Amino acid sequence: MFLAALLPTANHEVSPDAMLVHCLLQKDVSAFEQLYDRHSRIVYGLLLRILQQAGTAEEVAQDVFLQLWRNAAQYDESRGPFVPWLLTLARNRALDTLRLKSERQRRREDQTEEMPPVVAVPQYEKELDEKRRAEKVRALMGSLNAQQKKAIELAYFEGLSHTEIAAALKEPLGTVKSWIRNGLLRLKEGLQATT
Amino acid sequence: MKNCDQFRDMFEAYALGALDAAERLGLEAHLATGCKDCAKAVEEARWLVSQLAYLAPESAPSDMLKGRLMQTVRAEALQAAKQSAATKPAIPLWLWAGVAALFLFSVFSARNAEQLRKDIRTTNERAAAILKERQGLEAQLETAKREAMILTDPASVNIALASSDPQSPQLEAKWHSKLGIVLTGQKIPAPSGNRVLQLWLIPKTPGGKPIPSLTLRPDAEGKFVLLVSNPPELMAQTKALAITEEPEGGSPQPTTTPRWVGGVS
Repeated sequence: MFLAALLPTANHEVSPDAMLVHCLLQKDVSAFEQLYDRHSRIVYGLLLRILQQAGTAEEVAQDVFLQLWRNAAQYDESRGPFVPWLLTLARNRALDTLRLKSERQRRREDQTEEMPPVVAVPQYEKELDEKRRAEKVRALMGSLNAQQKKAIELAYFEGLSHTEIAAALKEPLGTVKSWIRNGLLRLKEGLQATT
Repeated sequence: MKNCDQFRDMFEAYALGALDAAERLGLEAHLATGCKDCAKAVEEARWLVSQLAYLAPESAPSDMLKGRLMQTVRAEALQAAKQSAATKPAIPLWLWAGVAALFLFSVFSARNAEQLRKDIRTTNERAAAILKERQGLEAQLETAKREAMILTDPASVNIALASSDPQSPQLEAKWHSKLGIVLTGQKIPAPSGNRVLQLWLIPKTPGGKPIPSLTLRPDAEGKFVLLVSNPPELMAQTKALAITEEPEGGSPQPTTTPRWVGGVS
């Protein structure tokens, strides 16, 4: 794990985030603070968008960062970049929270330590700074038709399935599937074109 | 690959979590077979989906959130440090073992060194004793050779020392002008107590005082051989040799009447 964190992998150079996560294994408080300062805005923004309540979003954000602090060893830099991994973790926790009906159930579920699955960088991905990446993604999604974008947002931010989205939009299931798949492929092509 | 084709359109929706249960279970069963191509495609789709997070506007959480987190993190780091210090001995066991081994080796070495010093001291003492004994033997040999040379050299002058007591045996002396005087006697009664016999050289100078020379005591059989390597006076200036009985250590001048006297011709 140590070498994996320090040696460049075949696909990308060692990132500052990977170095900081490695320091978390030694319970380095300063490394944690740096990671928080670097990524708390995007994480909190995502949580707020999904949960729609500042208090709940902060509560989940606290859980996400504490989970990172306590289980840093579960992040394997050689398997993928840190930020998508952290965002996937945050989204999963937020959707779990959203789905639970009672406060007691939510708290009990929050105590689970399930980590997100592997997120791999495709070959077309290049390092973009956060601001440029956000602009690019928003521009690409903005180019989709409103229904297509809405379907994807319902899936991503509200965790709805194809069937649930079709019901919500009152559109045929096949149409919704096509919108989502084609929209994501367009996003993928757009990111590829960036490189 | 044919089997993979039916899942090819599902990867993005699966990563998004939008598949209905039947499709999701079907894909997961396929992934469970170990299909590396599909697994890689799913991982890349997850990355693509994660980019949707940028659709949400960034927003800063309250300072209180960071404060709570840092407080918790610092407390847990401190606790971890305490546990680590409690479970790890300040000095690891292997180091203690090393110190113990070094200590034992030092004690062993010190004892060895002390024994070696004793052996060297004993050997030195034995060597000194042997050297001293050899020097003594050499001195004895030198004395014996000198005595033999004085006794056998024709240049030596015979001096017979007659006793004032007719019962007492006569002493004999040989004086070599360069090698000294050898005085011998047999069946000579020992002086009483610790008293000794002392040789005197009587000078030819009129009124000259007797010159003291060496002292001696006969052995248990009454024998003695006395070598005077450096007589205090020249033979030509000596009129006679005399022997008196004196206290132990000898006297600067005779305290008794001479028991033996012999003229130097």
